[in-house]
Amino acid sequence: MKVSLKIMRGLLEHVRQDLKRPHSFAYERVGFLIASAAGTPRGILLTICDYQPVDDEDYERNESVGAEIGSDAMRKAVQAAYRPQRTLLHVHTHGGLGRPEFSSVDLISAEEFVPGFFYPVPKMPHGLLVLSDDDASGLYWQQPEQKPETISDFIIVGGPYTRNWRT
Amino acid sequence: MSWLDRQSFLGNDSDETLAALTVGIVGLGGGGSHVAQQLAHVGVGNFVLLDPDIITDTNLNRLVGATFSDIQAGTYKVDIAQRVIVGVNPNAKIEKRISLWQDAAELLKECDVIIGGVDKIRAKHELDAFSRRFMIPYIDMGMDVTDTGGNNYLISGQVILTGPGEPCLQCLGIVNEGLLKEEAQTYGDAGSKPQVVWPNGLLASTAVGLFMQLVTPWAGRPRTSAFLEYDGNRNSIVEAAALSFFKTRQCSHYMIRDVGDPRFDMRKLLAKEQDVQTPNQKLPQSWWNRFIRWCSSQRD
Repeated sequence: MKVSLKIMRGLLEHVRQDLKRPHSFAYERVGFLIASAAGTPRGILLTICDYQPVDDEDYERNESVGAEIGSDAMRKAVQAAYRPQRTLLHVHTHGGLGRPEFSSVDLISAEEFVPGFFYPVPKMPHGLLVLSDDDASGLYWQQPEQKPETISDFIIVGGPYTRNWRT
Repeated sequence: MSWLDRQSFLGNDSDETLAALTVGIVGLGGGGSHVAQQLAHVGVGNFVLLDPDIITDTNLNRLVGATFSDIQAGTYKVDIAQRVIVGVNPNAKIEKRISLWQDAAELLKECDVIIGGVDKIRAKHELDAFSRRFMIPYIDMGMDVTDTGGNNYLISGQVILTGPGEPCLQCLGIVNEGLLKEEAQTYGDAGSKPQVVWPNGLLASTAVGLFMQLVTPWAGRPRTSAFLEYDGNRNSIVEAAALSFFKTRQCSHYMIRDVGDPRFDMRKLLAKEQDVQTPNQKLPQSWWNRFIRWCSSQRD
């Protein structure tokens, strides 16, 4: 199944800027992209319609990871995607140029929290995204018990219109 | 050396970019046929062509690629466009439907850009709304010949580039309740509108220019909206004043959050896929299975 992800260029730039803001103790910031979905002849089209940053007070101290967020952050994200039901994509940035890769910590923690999005929002696929300064990689879960799959196409709508997130 | 070598100023990877894109052309008449031909020449790799009509003798004055024998054969307009595209670029992939675009809308969802060459205001309105829902930039072309009296005529037209977050066709005055009502009342007895090849070609070239600026910008950051007005008597194309009015205002007709399919359900999609993959293993529709499904649906 081919999954394409679309985002407005202005929103993407805002997300990158927001994730670069320093936090008082966390090494990096995270946020949530909120997307609608539609079936297409070859798969699914995810259209990102909003971004929800994690509030400063919802980070928790943990020296062993870049950022750890608490249950309030998860609750707020789910609340934003609850009515109408929307896809939740956890997002953070590794910076730099080129196609980013998920770290093992990213993948292990996602295996724990992404399936949790399906309890309140069962209609939609959910996943996670990692950005660089000019590209992105993404995974999505079709169902909580299934293995994640790769998001195949990244499309930036705006000037210029870009497919594959190559800017 | 590539057949697109003379347009290398569009970017080092412009050949690959254009070859990977899919453009939907709705209406393959006077405007759409020009667009199809030009997009084939610039190297667009994938097309969705939608038009329900057969060419008739009154189309031959402007439909690019059409021949007298097409009229005798009753060739569909999408088939003429396909012949023109493949004649230029044999590697182009084409999905075509001899139907109204609304009946083949699924194909348009995967398009990178949609270009509309439709006459009806209702069709323009619906295409604009559809494109926004799936975050697809939309380029609309329109042309008119108006009788100004005393055997004088005014040739005019417009090309609009719009998309999510940009002023829509309602904002720009191309679509409004009055025009929709008027069109609905004259439905069926409007007769054939006058159309000629050179304004069609000019408007189509302008549309292709906007498309190329959007996907392979050759000078700075490209524009994401445009409203270009054509005056065929003065031979001019100028930016319409209506667009500048919206530089500081948001479109009030479409919300950026109103995207996607509100009925989308991943579970139904997966179930449908499974049904297609294993048709012989489908469970019989017993009252018990129906009851279980009903219980599941009540939990959503």
